[in-house]
Amino acid sequence: MSWENNIEEHERRVSKAEAMGSTKRLKERAASGIMNARQRIEELLDSGSFHESGRFAVSERPDAADKSPGDGVVDGYGRINGREVVVCAQDFTTLGSSSAINNGRKSQKMWRSAEKNGVPFVYLSECSGARIPDIMGAVGMGRIGEGFIFSRRRLVPWADAVLGMSFGGGTWVASVSDFVVMRKGAVMAVTSPRVNTVAISEQIDPEEMGGWRVQTEITGKADLAVDTDEEALQAVRQYLSYLPSNCEEMPPLADVPTGSGDDANRILDLVPEERRRTYDVRKVITLIVDRDSMFPVKERFGRSLVTCFARIDGRSVGIIANNPMFKGGALDVDSCDKATSFIAMCDSFNVPLIFLADVPGFLIGVEGEHKKVPGKIMNFMQALELTSVPVLSIIMRKSYGQAYINMGGGRSDEMACWFTADISFVDPAVAASIVTGVDPRTEPEKFAAAVEEYSLGCSPYDLAGQYLAHDVIDPRDTRQWLSRMLDAHQRRRTGGIGAHHMQSWPFTY
Amino acid sequence: MADIDIKSEIAGKVWLIEAEAGQSVEEDDAVIILESMKMEIPVAAPVSGKITEILVEKDEAVAEGQTVARMEG
Repeated sequence: MSWENNIEEHERRVSKAEAMGSTKRLKERAASGIMNARQRIEELLDSGSFHESGRFAVSERPDAADKSPGDGVVDGYGRINGREVVVCAQDFTTLGSSSAINNGRKSQKMWRSAEKNGVPFVYLSECSGARIPDIMGAVGMGRIGEGFIFSRRRLVPWADAVLGMSFGGGTWVASVSDFVVMRKGAVMAVTSPRVNTVAISEQIDPEEMGGWRVQTEITGKADLAVDTDEEALQAVRQYLSYLPSNCEEMPPLADVPTGSGDDANRILDLVPEERRRTYDVRKVITLIVDRDSMFPVKERFGRSLVTCFARIDGRSVGIIANNPMFKGGALDVDSCDKATSFIAMCDSFNVPLIFLADVPGFLIGVEGEHKKVPGKIMNFMQALELTSVPVLSIIMRKSYGQAYINMGGGRSDEMACWFTADISFVDPAVAASIVTGVDPRTEPEKFAAAVEEYSLGCSPYDLAGQYLAHDVIDPRDTRQWLSRMLDAHQRRRTGGIGAHHMQSWPFTY
Repeated sequence: MADIDIKSEIAGKVWLIEAEAGQSVEEDDAVIILESMKMEIPVAAPVSGKITEILVEKDEAVAEGQTVARMEG
């Protein structure tokens, strides 16, 4: 019975491929509560939707073929919230999911497939780096160098969950992704600490080199850090829910949760009328947007600026808001980089932008100049000027100088001011000091008179009077104003699909 | 109990000192308030715990990254 033999042999091979790598390592992971590659895929995707591609691939080296099921990666097609995606999961139990010829070909094929078919690409990184001996020697290096493609345009959303030690290939993919979530304890770096030690005699703590605090607070390469694999995969699902499947589609509409906007009156309790006082703009955003729809990205990086996805009346929006809670809301080098990358991402995927300005200016000083702050400010401006998605902006309390322009001043499809807004080149007190040279401690009355003089003509009604703002609103009406203006500025001629001038902009600044 | 430095993330001048040595604070409570960029900017406790030392005085100029107080948490 030849059919029986064929069936039996096929089933044996399927079992072997699906068993992944070292049994010992699989047991160790299970004991420590860390998922394996297949469990992660199951957790990520809608139940029963996964269809594998490349399951019988093994190492190209005959001596390693038997111990390299899938060549260390599990790839395939699935669905998230009913929408098609492509997923690649590195299987660390198989040769550390080290980068080699065949697993590289698999991942690149899947990436291209996602682009050709217009569906999001999700990568689950856990990689020990390049595989030795495969990459050694002239032919090894030559073949890797020839076969790998690193160019990417933002045609489809890419999301990467870094779920363990991730060096080399796992980190390269994360570095060109639109969204990166890390599980705390995972590490993202060019090479492993061991390679570092051998190469440059530096003893390195992996966490210090590329742990979640480094990547979310210092580099901003990771958008979010969470405690478990499950939370990381849920974050990927949520991230994708705000985006279309590809750049030629609009983001999906969502139901509007009951109670959205009901607490809008509380804005007046949250925002101090005195503009010297600080507050947390994230609390204001939660009152404006659909209930529970706020999804911050890079929350721990460049904290004087909030970038987040949210929904207003079911529509996806990208919000860029100064946060006076940190550095008084002043824009610094990190917050400029953060704004630039967020604008490029939203514009590439047809997500309207909303600016909420309460900004005392750019953070001036030696440190900023040494970190190229003028170039960062202009990158941010360049991104804003190149957008083709609708841009709405609101000046909440103050907006001064170049920061006024960066936060959408004169660059928005529709701009409103809260009646609390104050607009000028600098704070009137700064102008009084610079121009008069009066010391407020020795001549308080003269200084107060100068401040009063420079405070004239800074009101929102002055701006709107010359049609440099399009409306002045009560803060409690913010949600209604945004909802109505989103409806008005839908770019109906193109169905909302933008020109995507920043599609090939860098992913790291 | 770990010793923790409370650092200013912005250059400015000390305007108010909101806590004293021995005082218990919650995470995000303001320990020092700086005046910078014409704003009152809090330097907050990074975790809940007890202040052990205040290292600055009113009107003192503070640099970005300078430790302004210490706490155990």
